[in-house]
Amino acid sequence: MVGCARRVPPFVSVSRGSSARPPDVDPRVGATWTEAPCPVLVVDRYGGLVRINGAARALLPDAECGDRLHERVPSWLWGAHQRMGEGPHDGSLGTATGRINGRFVEAHPTPVGEGEVVWWLIDETDRRLAETALSNARLRSEILSEVSSALLSTLNVPRCTEVAASMAAEHLAEAAVLVAPPQGRRHPLTYARRGGPVTQVTRQVDVSGVPGLAEALQGFPPVPARWIDPGAIPDWVIPDGFSGAVGSVIVTPLPGHGVPAGALILLRSSTEQVFTEGEEVFARLFAARAGAALSAARLYTEQATVTATLMQELLPPRLTGVHGVEYAGGYRAAKDHERVGGDFYDVHPGADPSQETLVVLGDVAGKGLDAAVLTGKIRNTLHALLPLAGNHQRVLDLLNGALLTSRHTRFATLVLASVRRRGGQVRLRLTSAGHLPPLITRADGTVEEVATQGTLVGALPTVKARTVETVLSPGETCLLYTDGITEARGGPLGDELFGEHRLRRAFGESAGIPAEAVVERVQMLVSGWLGTGRHDDMAAVAISAPATGALTLVGGHAEAGGHTGGPGSRRIT
Amino acid sequence: MTSLSPAEFALSFFREPATLTVRVCGELDYDTSEDLVDAVVARLEEGPPPREVRLDFGALTWIDSSGLAALLMIHRRTDSAGAVLRLENRPGFLERLLHVTNVLEHLTAPASGGRG
Repeated sequence: MVGCARRVPPFVSVSRGSSARPPDVDPRVGATWTEAPCPVLVVDRYGGLVRINGAARALLPDAECGDRLHERVPSWLWGAHQRMGEGPHDGSLGTATGRINGRFVEAHPTPVGEGEVVWWLIDETDRRLAETALSNARLRSEILSEVSSALLSTLNVPRCTEVAASMAAEHLAEAAVLVAPPQGRRHPLTYARRGGPVTQVTRQVDVSGVPGLAEALQGFPPVPARWIDPGAIPDWVIPDGFSGAVGSVIVTPLPGHGVPAGALILLRSSTEQVFTEGEEVFARLFAARAGAALSAARLYTEQATVTATLMQELLPPRLTGVHGVEYAGGYRAAKDHERVGGDFYDVHPGADPSQETLVVLGDVAGKGLDAAVLTGKIRNTLHALLPLAGNHQRVLDLLNGALLTSRHTRFATLVLASVRRRGGQVRLRLTSAGHLPPLITRADGTVEEVATQGTLVGALPTVKARTVETVLSPGETCLLYTDGITEARGGPLGDELFGEHRLRRAFGESAGIPAEAVVERVQMLVSGWLGTGRHDDMAAVAISAPATGALTLVGGHAEAGGHTGGPGSRRIT
Repeated sequence: MTSLSPAEFALSFFREPATLTVRVCGELDYDTSEDLVDAVVARLEEGPPPREVRLDFGALTWIDSSGLAALLMIHRRTDSAGAVLRLENRPGFLERLLHVTNVLEHLTAPASGGRG
């Protein structure tokens, strides 16, 4: 088979690792090199193939003894052989690497006498593939971790989308288009081109025009890239500045938390290599990370929007003077930003000065969405019950009935205050439904607790409440407040309640000052008490009889003060 | 907020044939009130209902409106199970809350529902 040469070169028996063997083994090992598992070529000084073994024939099927080496092997090996002839070398110096018929080969020369060289060829293809795969895997995991940290550093949806698209264009394709779930009929589209700017538009597009896109937007697994005809990609997918025709396309879903976060389209031009299967798998991994980040950002944004909307709806009104009575309100939301609190107040002005104005201040048990919903319900119900506000007990009965449910015992406590100015005085009807009693500062600086008491609303089958009628003289103020104020924890030890006694003292010092200043003073003192501590919602409303002017025009008539009632509280049933 | 750490919320249960006693320790608030309701309801549902459920508040350090809502819910459940609810060793702040909200009478009224 082998052996077209006249002599067996002596060197072949001196293989590495066998030098320790006794010399008499050599002749027996002599010819076995022809059976060596690696290809071996013996080349003479003129570049002629002297001998080749079986493994070399498998690698170079056309090669025969006597052939010219440069006609049978690639130029890198021929070049290496020529360099061997140029001077003395030790074996390792002449080592060369290159491809032969699709295999990756390392060629080690062993010079023998008379300019002949034996080339030992070692097939390194598999090791090379493994090394490449390893280095690709390392690179990809680096990219993925970079992607995750870049994407998770923002909870802003447009920014997150921009980062995802731009990283996809940089690491996966020449261009990337991120198609977000539709808003109405239009899809937010984010275009990124490698090295180019990222653009975001919201457009009505036909997603069914891109194979697999409609499915990807519903979260179905991606269509293999080889099934997608690049020529069929509609124009809207191709970013501005994308050069040349589209050569290959990947469409992959962005899986979110339960719901798809959109789809990613990757494009390569026809001059680039088409996407490999490995790249498709990688694109899916990338999409999983991007989808998770986008979905988190979207959930956060939605939640923040819901909270903001609710807060907007629950935000207390700005109060001013109504029909000759001063009103001022203060509200400080709990520090737990994600939890909408349950304090509220409203002022429903009477249709004219002769009609009572209804003031409501209340507190709903619990926090968050549940409390917000209940608060909204109470405010709306009370608004609807305004025509019945002449009878607080009736209002509370109806409100209680409207709130009662077998599902929970979430209740509200509130104070109703019906206010009307008669002459210089302000007549008040006050009813507490399980709420802290209102306080009144009299002109002489004393502070009274209004003796109204009643049952909380929304949890018991019936409610009882005692309405108290009283009168404010000019300069006197009635304060409605929630327990967030008296239960504010702070002070020198950090864990002491602000308490009713401190509130009374602060309020007593406010005699004769306008309603707005009263509320500000209370808020300021409580804030100082709190320091940086956590607190619940805090709300307060002050109702004042203005100190200025003994006579005021009410309803077109000048009325003198001093009608019914007087300082002090009077009970009615 | 403060270096003083509030007493850990804890519940202990003592069951006698006719009485279930629950000792409530720590703060009964938005974060813990559901635990109390769940635990009491679970014990009401296992075996024949007691004639009396005693909530011992001797070690209660604070209660807020969510805590009161929990008491109202427990009353609903004891009432429908035919058991009387007793609120024992009430600290001042609990007493004040029950007074302002006017629910003490309701919470400790003889059971109306059930056939116990």
